[in-house]
This record gives sequence, structure tokens and C-alpha cells, in this order.
Amino acid sequence: MTFVHQEVWHWQIATYLFLGGLGGATFAISALIHLFEGCDRKMLSVAVMSSIGFLVLGTVFLLADMLQPLKAIYALTNPRSWIFWGVIFINFYFVSAIAYVIPLLEVWPKINPYVQKIPRGILDLLERFNKLAALTGSAAGFLVAIYTGLLISAAPAISFWNTPALPLLFVISGFSTGAAFLLLLSTFSKNEESWKIIAKLEELDAMLIVTELIILGAYFNFALFLPTGARESAQVLFHSPLFIIGFFIFGLIVPLAIETYGIFFAKHTKKSGHLLVIASVMVLLGGYLLRYYVLKAGLFQFPW
Amino acid sequence: MARYGMVMDMRTCVGCQACMAACTAENQTPFWNGKFRTHVEDKAQGTFPDVRRVLLPRLCMHCENTPCLSACPTGATFMTEDGIVKVNYDRCIGCYACCIACPYDARYAYDREDVNKEEELYGKFTSHKQPHVDKCTFCDHRVSEGREPACVSTCPTNTRIFGDLDDPNSEVHKLATSGKAQALNQSLGTSPKVYYIPS
Repeated sequence: MTFVHQEVWHWQIATYLFLGGLGGATFAISALIHLFEGCDRKMLSVAVMSSIGFLVLGTVFLLADMLQPLKAIYALTNPRSWIFWGVIFINFYFVSAIAYVIPLLEVWPKINPYVQKIPRGILDLLERFNKLAALTGSAAGFLVAIYTGLLISAAPAISFWNTPALPLLFVISGFSTGAAFLLLLSTFSKNEESWKIIAKLEELDAMLIVTELIILGAYFNFALFLPTGARESAQVLFHSPLFIIGFFIFGLIVPLAIETYGIFFAKHTKKSGHLLVIASVMVLLGGYLLRYYVLKAGLFQFPW
Repeated sequence: MARYGMVMDMRTCVGCQACMAACTAENQTPFWNGKFRTHVEDKAQGTFPDVRRVLLPRLCMHCENTPCLSACPTGATFMTEDGIVKVNYDRCIGCYACCIACPYDARYAYDREDVNKEEELYGKFTSHKQPHVDKCTFCDHRVSEGREPACVSTCPTNTRIFGDLDDPNSEVHKLATSGKAQALNQSLGTSPKVYYIPS
């Protein structure tokens, strides 16, 4: 039995997986905040436009890694493939996100004239079903985020990936990066109201990081349990300083400590504002490192 | 309908790599970049002085339960009625999902560089006109003419035995069901149609 590193999916796909999780989660969290908390439309439109941007950029990275990107439409052929479902989820996401964001763009004086060029009937319809679009969009965002994990878990001979823990880890990490991005965005807002949202986001991100730590614990416990490729992969990660220090320490533990300080000691005051910016950037970098290293540590278990 | 399969009699393989050369010539695989549809693994087993050389010819196992076929979003990977797993080059987008899903490392990318090099070498007789993911086809173009795959007819030691697994009179059926031959990585549940008789 030999273990061989997968040499097929590299940083381009890691970037796609990261941006997919980030874009899907950013939209899902923004839409849910809108539904349950209310939110200022300027912030919301920036958040949703950025999430669309992340997904567009992610798709560009995916296409750039293909041998025949111009034939990508064929990817809607085989429903047994996770990529098929990924395409469905991403398109469902784009439709929901665009339908959702158009009425929100009316608050921008420079963009509003362009929005007004859309027939009034359609605009009224979009406005009326804005909350429905938020709801379907958050479902689409969740599906896009979890799909990034499902895609790579469909490899029977890479036992480190071929586990239900991986989609779970990716979706939680995706939502953590989404919350971190929104936190980062909110700290730049001059609107006093946004500090209320920051408090929520800070708590959400801290909870997501704790959940991520629990899943990571279970995941590595499973990986180290049997003498398979999964154990070898876990060993590879344990011997990667950038994974341990970059992802685990600076991507999870330090931001969690900062957010804990913000929640319990700074009581969500602006005192912890600068620290929050640092924590958010760290979570985002950590999210990327997680995907990069999980792909890098994918080991085939060959019988020779 | 036939259900084609292969038995590798490991007792006779000498590691001459004639199968690799035959396959390369037959199917124009990009040997210039070290990419082959069939490959002979050459490993040392044990520690000195108790060392043994182990050879293992491998290729696409043409699994019954195909992870590559499930992973392919475009339907480019398909199974013929004869149980041969093939790639439709016109439909392949080269997303590599099948390469990741294959537990036997049987697939490789025939990229733009390979297509150009092939054009340079074979001129108008090229068989790979566009980038795609490539793999063994059991030489189905030869099989349909009643001939054996190139690697089988070239093997000087008769290590490779090809035929219809469902035909009770075929040698491949007898060997595959003899109990001596085993498929690789059976625990994955892919039901490969290539069997190995250990040396």
C-alpha cells in the first residue's frame, strides 16, 4: 500500500472553494440579518454585491483550471455528479442574489438612474418579493458553501476527503469567513446602527469558530484512528507549520480570543474595533489556508 | 453482450514494459510527458538482505461501479454495452473530477501542449485533436475488429489475458473465477474488471 499526493487540484481550486464558501455564506448571513434584524440597505447592498463578486471570481478560477472552459455548459448533463449540482446551486444563487440586490441598489444615487431603467413592473415585483429572494438566496448560499465540501468528498480513494466531516467543516468554515467579512465591512461603516450588527456578527463568528474547532477535533480524531491515507494526510498537516501556525493559531485561536475579548470585556464597544479588523482578516486568511492545505494533503491510497 | 475484462498473471510479468510501448504507439499517448494509459509499477519490497522486486502492471480497471462516471458532470465518461469505460473527447471539459475520483490513478490530462506535440509527431494522423482527460479503452477499436488490445497481443510472457468475463468458455472467465485472481482495492466497492493472480 502506498500513499501518493493528488497532483490534480491545486491552489486555483482551493481559491475557488474558498471564494465559493465565502460568497455563499456572506450572502446567506446578510440576507438572514436582513430578515431577522433589519439592516441598512447601503451596507446590505455592498455585502451582497461583494458576495456576487466572490462567486464570479471563484468561477473564473475554476474555469481557468479547466482544459476546455468554453464547453463548461456541458457540466449540466450528469445529475450523479456533484459538479452538476454545484452549477445548479451557483446559478440558483446568482438568480436569487441579483433579484434580491436590485431593489437595494436604489439607495445609491449614482446607481439609481440605471436601476430605474428597469421596467417599473419588474422593479415593483422585485421589491414585493424582496424577502422571499432573501430566503431562497440564503438557502442557495448555504448550498453553494456546503457543495464546496461535497465536491471533494466524492473521491473514494482519498480517505481524508471521503468523509461526511469534510462538507460539514467546509460549510462551518465558510460561514465563519462570511461572518468575518461582514464584520470587516461593518467596522468601516459610519452608521451607528451598524455597531448593533457588529455585536451579532462577533457572537456569530465566535460560535462558528468554536463549532469549527469541535468538528476539527472530531475530524482529526477520525483521521488518526485507522492506518489509512487519512492518517497520513493528518500527519502531513501536523508537519506543515503554515497549517498549524497560520490556520490553527492565527486563523482560529487568535481571532477567537479577540472576539471573546470583544464580547465579554470590551462589551462590543468601539474599543475593540481595530482588533476586530485584525481578527476578521485572520479568519479570512485562515479559511483560505484550510482549503489550500486540505487539498494539498489529499493522499491517494494505491494498492501498490 | 460481452463484458470485457482482463486478468494479469503476475507470476509471469518480467517488467519489460513492452505493453507500455505498444499502448503508446497504438493510442498516441503523450510518452514525452511521462503519461501512459498503462504503466508497470516497479517497486522494491522489504529491507536488505530480505529484498524482493515487485512488478505491477496497471491500467484502467473498467469498474462496474464507476466513481469516475459518477464524478463526470458532462457525461463525457460513459460505459459501453461491453462494459468498457470510455471518454467522449468532444464533451470532456477537463475539470479533473474523474481523475480525483479514480482510485487507480488511471487517468491523465491530454493538455494543449500534448496536442501540439502530437501534431508535430504524427502530422495528419493524430487521434487527439483537442485537450481532454485520457484513459485506457481496452483498445476497443481493435476489440471491435476481433483483435486483442495492443498491450495484450504485445506481452511476450502472456501476463495479460483479455476476454469476455461472462463467457464460461473464455480463459479470462476461468481465471477470474478460479479464486486465484483478485481485484485491487476491493474494499472500495468499485468492482473492477481487471484481476490479478499474485506472484
